[in-house]
Amino acid sequence: MIQTLALLHAAYRELNARKLFWVTLALSGLIVAAMASVGLNEEGLTVLWWQFDLAFLNTNIMPVDVFYKFIFANLAVPYWLAWLATILALISTASIFPDMVSGGSIDILLSKPIGRTRLFLTRYLTGLLFVMLQVGVFTIAAFLLIGFRGGSWEPWILISIPLVLLFYSYLFSICALLGTITRSTIASFLITILFWLLIFGVNSGEQVTLAGRTALEISLQYSQEDLKEAVDAGDPIEVTGPLQEMCDEDQESLDTWESFHVWFFTAKTILPKTDETVDLLERVLRDRTGMEIGGPPERQEMMFGANQRISNREFRDRLQETMDDRSVFWIIGTSLLFEFAVLGLVCWYFSRRDF
Amino acid sequence: MMPNRPLSIDLNDVTKTYRGGVHALRGVSLQVHPGEIFGLLGPNGAGKSTLVKIMMTVVRPTTVRGEVLGQPVGHKSTLARLGYLPEHHRFPAWLTGRQAIEFSGAMCKMPRKLRRRRTDELLDLVRMTEWGGKRLGTYSKGMQQRIGLAASLVNDPQLVLLDEPTDGVDPVGRREIREVLTQMRDQGKSVLVNSHILSELEMICDRVAILVQGVVARQGTVASLTKSSRCYEIISAATAEIGSTIENAEFESLGEGRSLIRVPTDDPIAIQPVLDRLRAGDVMIESVLPKRESLEDLFLRSVTDPSTGVALEPGANRSSDSDVKTFRKSDPDSTDGGDS
Repeated sequence: MIQTLALLHAAYRELNARKLFWVTLALSGLIVAAMASVGLNEEGLTVLWWQFDLAFLNTNIMPVDVFYKFIFANLAVPYWLAWLATILALISTASIFPDMVSGGSIDILLSKPIGRTRLFLTRYLTGLLFVMLQVGVFTIAAFLLIGFRGGSWEPWILISIPLVLLFYSYLFSICALLGTITRSTIASFLITILFWLLIFGVNSGEQVTLAGRTALEISLQYSQEDLKEAVDAGDPIEVTGPLQEMCDEDQESLDTWESFHVWFFTAKTILPKTDETVDLLERVLRDRTGMEIGGPPERQEMMFGANQRISNREFRDRLQETMDDRSVFWIIGTSLLFEFAVLGLVCWYFSRRDF
Repeated sequence: MMPNRPLSIDLNDVTKTYRGGVHALRGVSLQVHPGEIFGLLGPNGAGKSTLVKIMMTVVRPTTVRGEVLGQPVGHKSTLARLGYLPEHHRFPAWLTGRQAIEFSGAMCKMPRKLRRRRTDELLDLVRMTEWGGKRLGTYSKGMQQRIGLAASLVNDPQLVLLDEPTDGVDPVGRREIREVLTQMRDQGKSVLVNSHILSELEMICDRVAILVQGVVARQGTVASLTKSSRCYEIISAATAEIGSTIENAEFESLGEGRSLIRVPTDDPIAIQPVLDRLRAGDVMIESVLPKRESLEDLFLRSVTDPSTGVALEPGANRSSDSDVKTFRKSDPDSTDGGDS
C-alpha cells in the first residue's frame, strides 16, 4: 500500500509539473464558462447580455435543463472530452511509459521490492489519473452549471466520469503497449492516434453499412407489403411482376449490405468501442432522466433502395432501436476484454524484458 | 570483516547471454563478505553492470546459482534490504531532492515517519540539506549523484551496490563518499562498488574482482593479487659489476653513476644481505623503497592479452568460452589469493 500511494503521489506531482495539465484544465474551465454564458428563454437564445430570438430554439421547444443536458451530452462530452481533451491527454501521458523504461529510471524502480506487473499496472492507473481529474473537474462543474442555471440537479451527469475514463483507457492501453515496446513518446503517441483512426474508420464503416442495411430492410418490407397487397387484390402479372422485381432487387442489395455489415460488425466487436462508450452517456440520460431531444421535421425521403417512401423518422427510430439493443456488455465488456488483452500482453513483455 | 556471518553475496556460475548471442557473463562466481567494501573492475562491456543488475532484478540471468543476503537471487522482498545506485540514474526532474529520497524509501515500504527522519539524516550526510527542497532539474551532475547516493541508503541497507558512485562528483565530495562507505563497512554492512576510478577503489576496497569478457579474471585482496609483483627498489651508486653478483636481482643503470637494483621480495629481511653487500663494496645507498604493482597496473595486466600484449577491445562478444578461459588460466594471479 505504501508503494502504491508513493507511485500515485509521484504521479500527482508529475501532473502538477506538466503545463499541459493546467492548460487542459483551464480550457475545460473556459468551456464550462462558455456553457454558462449561454441561456435559453421563451424568446430564444441568450449569450451573456445579448438576446437572439429563435423560433426553433426556446423554452417552449426545449426546457432549459434539457438544453444544458443536450449541450453537455452532445457537444461538450463528445467534442471536448472525447476528442480534443483526449488528444491533449494523450500528448501529456504518452511519455509516462517511455520515461519509465528509460535507462537510469527503470533501474531505480525495478530494484525496489515491487513486482513488475504491479509496478506496470500502478503506473498505468496513475496515467488514467490525468483523465480522471480532468473529466472529474469538468463534469462536476457541468453538474453545478445544470443545477444552478437549469434548475435540475441531475446526478446521472456524473456517469460521464467513468464513461470517458473507460473510453480513454482503451486508447491508453495501446499507448502503454507502444511506449513500453518502442520507448519512444512520439512513436507511441502517433501510432495510438492511428489506432484511434482505425477504430473510427471501422466504426464509420459499421454505421454506414448498418444504415444501408436498415434502409433496405425497411424498403424491402414496404415492397413485400405492396406485393402482398397486389397479389391479394388479384392484380395481373403486369402489376405484380415489377413489384416482385423490386423485391428481388431489394433482397439482393440487402444481402450485399448485410455481408459488408457483418464484416465491420465483427471487426468492431473485437476492437474497443470508443464512440459507443461515450454515446452511453446520452442513452443513460435519456433512460434515467427522460431527456428527449426532438429531431428535425419529417420532410425528407430516404434514397436507399428502390423504395423512396421511407421517412427519416422511421429510419432513425429503427436505427436508434438497433443501437439501443446493443447491450452494455457488448459495448463495454468486449472493449474491456480488448483492453485487458493488451494490458496482459504488455505486462508479459514488461515482466520478461531486460533493462 | 566478520567471516562467521553468512556471505552478503555468494554467486556461482552466473551467465547471461543477450539476444543475438552476446555473452555478457560466462559463469561468474563472486563472494562478498559482511563488513567489506568490494570493488568490481573491468573494461567497458566486461559485464559489471549486467552482474549488478542481475542482483537487483533489473536483468534476468540466463543461469544463476547463489544468494544475496541469504536469499536466492531475484527474491523480491530481499530488495528492501538492498541499496542500489545505478550508473546514470535518473529521478524525475520535477521531484525535489528530498522527495526523491522519500520516494525511494516509500518504494522500500518504509513508514512515513521513519523515511522522513532518515531523509533528514541523509541530506545532512551528503551535505544537501539546503538544496533538499529544490527540484532535481536544477541540480548539477555531482549534486544529483549525492542525492542518488542518499536515495540508495535511505532504507539503511545491509548491502549496497554502487555503479560509478563518484561520477561527476568533485574531489571533496569523493572523499565524503569514501568516508560514507567506510562508515558503512565499520557498521558491518557490505558495499559493492563498480568504478573505473581505480585509485579510489584502491584506497577503500578490501577486495576486488576484475571482470574481463564476462569472466572473473582475478578476485582477492589488492595485496594478494599484487603479491607476485612486490619488490624492493634500491637506488645506489652500485656498478654493473657489483649488481651482477646479487642473486635474483635486476640491475638497471640510471646514468650519472646511479643505478637501480630491483629485488623481487616483499620480505625486508631478504634484502639485508643485498644491503650488506653494497655496504661492503663501499657503495653509497640513496634510497630503499618497497614497491608493488598499483591496482591500475594490475587492471591493465588483466585486460591485456598476454600472448599479444595488446589490450582487449571493449565490449562483450560472441567468442567461445574456451577462448576466454585460456586467457584467464594463463595468469598465475587469477585465483583468489586471500579473502580475509
